[in-house]
Amino acid sequence: MNIEQLPIINLLLFLLMALVIPLLKRKPFKITLILGFVVLGLVLISSGYLLWYVNNVEVIHYTFGGHEARFGIEFIVDPFSALFTTIIAGLAAIIYIYSSGDATEGIEKTEYGRYYVLLFILLMSMFGILYTNDLFNTYVFIEILSITTCAIISIKKKKDTYTSAFRYVMMNELGSLSYLFGVALIYMATGFTNITLISESIQNAYASYPVNIIVALGFMIIGLGIKAAIFPFHIWLPDAHSAAPSTSSAILSAIVIKVYILVLVKVLFRVFKLDILNEMNISTILLVLAGVAMIMGSVFAIAQKDVKRMLGYSSVAQMGYILLGIGLLSFEGLRAAFFHILSHGLMKTALFLSVGEIIYYKKTRKVNDFDGMGFIMPVAMGVFSIAALGMIGIPLTSGFISKLNLGVAVLDQNQIIFLVILIVSSLLNVIYYLPIIILAFLKNEKYRYRLKSIEPTPRTMIAPLVLLGVLIVVVGLFPNQIMIFIEAAANSLLP
Amino acid sequence: MWLDRIIENINYIGAIALFVIGLRIVVTHSNLIKRIMGINIMGTGVFLFFVAIGNVTGGVPPIVNPEVEDQLFINPIPSVLILTGIVVVVSITVYSLSLVVKIYENYKTIDQKELSKLISEENNEH
Amino acid sequence: MNDIIVKNITRIIIPFAQVYGIFIILNGHVSPGGGFAGGAIIGTTLILYTLVFGREKGKKKFSHKASEIAESGGIIWFVTIGLVGLVVADRFLTNINAGFPEGIIGEILSGGMIPLLMIGIGVKVASTMISLFNLLIDEGV
Repeated sequence: MNIEQLPIINLLLFLLMALVIPLLKRKPFKITLILGFVVLGLVLISSGYLLWYVNNVEVIHYTFGGHEARFGIEFIVDPFSALFTTIIAGLAAIIYIYSSGDATEGIEKTEYGRYYVLLFILLMSMFGILYTNDLFNTYVFIEILSITTCAIISIKKKKDTYTSAFRYVMMNELGSLSYLFGVALIYMATGFTNITLISESIQNAYASYPVNIIVALGFMIIGLGIKAAIFPFHIWLPDAHSAAPSTSSAILSAIVIKVYILVLVKVLFRVFKLDILNEMNISTILLVLAGVAMIMGSVFAIAQKDVKRMLGYSSVAQMGYILLGIGLLSFEGLRAAFFHILSHGLMKTALFLSVGEIIYYKKTRKVNDFDGMGFIMPVAMGVFSIAALGMIGIPLTSGFISKLNLGVAVLDQNQIIFLVILIVSSLLNVIYYLPIIILAFLKNEKYRYRLKSIEPTPRTMIAPLVLLGVLIVVVGLFPNQIMIFIEAAANSLLP
Repeated sequence: MWLDRIIENINYIGAIALFVIGLRIVVTHSNLIKRIMGINIMGTGVFLFFVAIGNVTGGVPPIVNPEVEDQLFINPIPSVLILTGIVVVVSITVYSLSLVVKIYENYKTIDQKELSKLISEENNEH
Repeated sequence: MNDIIVKNITRIIIPFAQVYGIFIILNGHVSPGGGFAGGAIIGTTLILYTLVFGREKGKKKFSHKASEIAESGGIIWFVTIGLVGLVVADRFLTNINAGFPEGIIGEILSGGMIPLLMIGIGVKVASTMISLFNLLIDEGV
């Protein structure tokens, strides 16, 4: 067996793990947890090795059943997919450790097994989306992903989760059917669903059937935009992310919506290519959407009283940052967007998990109840503060580096107006993150003497939080190590 | 002239009509079951479009018959792809119907407007 | 439901429908149909049984545990066949090159591993249909 088999083995490991969990129902739950951790560890190691391999040796093309690419399904592992699968596996491992610490808030004991089944199928579909080089195969994985995310939201048997999950299903289904319609139009004009083959013939197709290609691009941007919560289509996100259990919110906000935007990146840069995009002036449309999202997401976040809803709206704004980087259609822009995907993944995971710990321990989600929380729960609030400062873009955190890169990319394209929007959006971030930190640490004198020991929550919940806090600072201090891989990923997308 | 073109492209026109009808139902109706129906109609539209692409005038189903040579087959790939799509829409339908059952048990209504009224009342109580 | 006509007709129809479903599954590679269509037919007969004779009797015929095992088993069977290709011919789901017999075109025994895969899909689809139906009856998402 050689290294080419690793991607499919990653997928199969997740799938088999999901199948094994129901069979282990009678055994103690610890066995399931340890087995799942072993699987995640193996996948993390193998995707890390793949990342090294594709950057230093060669890109892996894997066709199923040995059929050629135009008949069969093809997996491509290149710097782009290898980088993001590694990031996903790493974040998922951190969230997994946290969720094993009994913090699956609001889920009944009997549902634990099912939660982990869904988690592993979710990871499998995200890996599939990134590896596959076939538009229709992407659709199938997207649908698996959207069903499992809906189920992971509604697993908490409470009234409001059902309505928010229902809205999520409807919006998601609109999105995926639009995407499928786009695929159908491309298939009609070119006769392929394989991305490499389409990109070879799309110029001719655009010359003969321009309407097909334009409409297909429109449908795909809207469909994936709904799923990635780009501003006007974001209405499902705050409800869904605030109703879900904390660990699910972390996965949904930090990983899942990023995967959809990565599909959008693939569609834009691999399928349609820069020539067509420039001719249609897609850049302007994406930039306007991004600018609106950056401002409006933050404005809505200010008005929220519930912490998790606030974090949800903050995600909408942050998706705007990523879309801004992509919309510039330049190397610098892509680099900044990819770096922000990583740093926002780390920061949002840290925010949701620390808030989750506070909810687990103090049973409150109101912003006003954070009064003096820094002295009651120093670790959770400390990590929250680091991540919130990162969101604002204070130096020494990873958020600063991504904003710096975005600013450089914007200036490179002479889009001064977006630099202004970037700064205004950062200031709006200050308005809703800083009061929480001040409330927790500085305001109330009467709690100060009560600092005795770290909070009595399980160690498995505290360790990942500390790890995330350290990672945010480390990535902020030494961005160059990871930047090599990000630049390779951006280069693999551009000609 | 234009009538001929309509008849030629009747599959595509029908597909797009179904897509738009479904979209309208999903967006405008407040009854949750009707919205699920809308999703199904939309899906059918996309599937019809896909299958219509694969049609070849005068083609036969793509099953190799060793006795006849030089057969003209229709393109089987869209039909195969759509089989997957149908499975997906069925599972989405089942999942959302089970959600509607749950919503009805909890709120005693399946109308979106009444639901939002009930939810906002609940939020105000807290 | 307590209608003698419905009960007896159902009793007569179900075996035929199930045999037809198995026929479609096994002929999936030489004629229209296949694992999904055949599995759906078998699943429908199980749903029909539950509808006519009630949930309790349906549970006895095809229990929750059985459907769970069939669901997991279908996928595991599919993956195992795929892994044969991976081990022998270096590619997941390899057909003829992995040593599956080609057979004669138009016969039942042809197409290499495809009939084997179809059986896995059929089992999975049939059990999924009945378990989705039961889920909707028993409530619980």
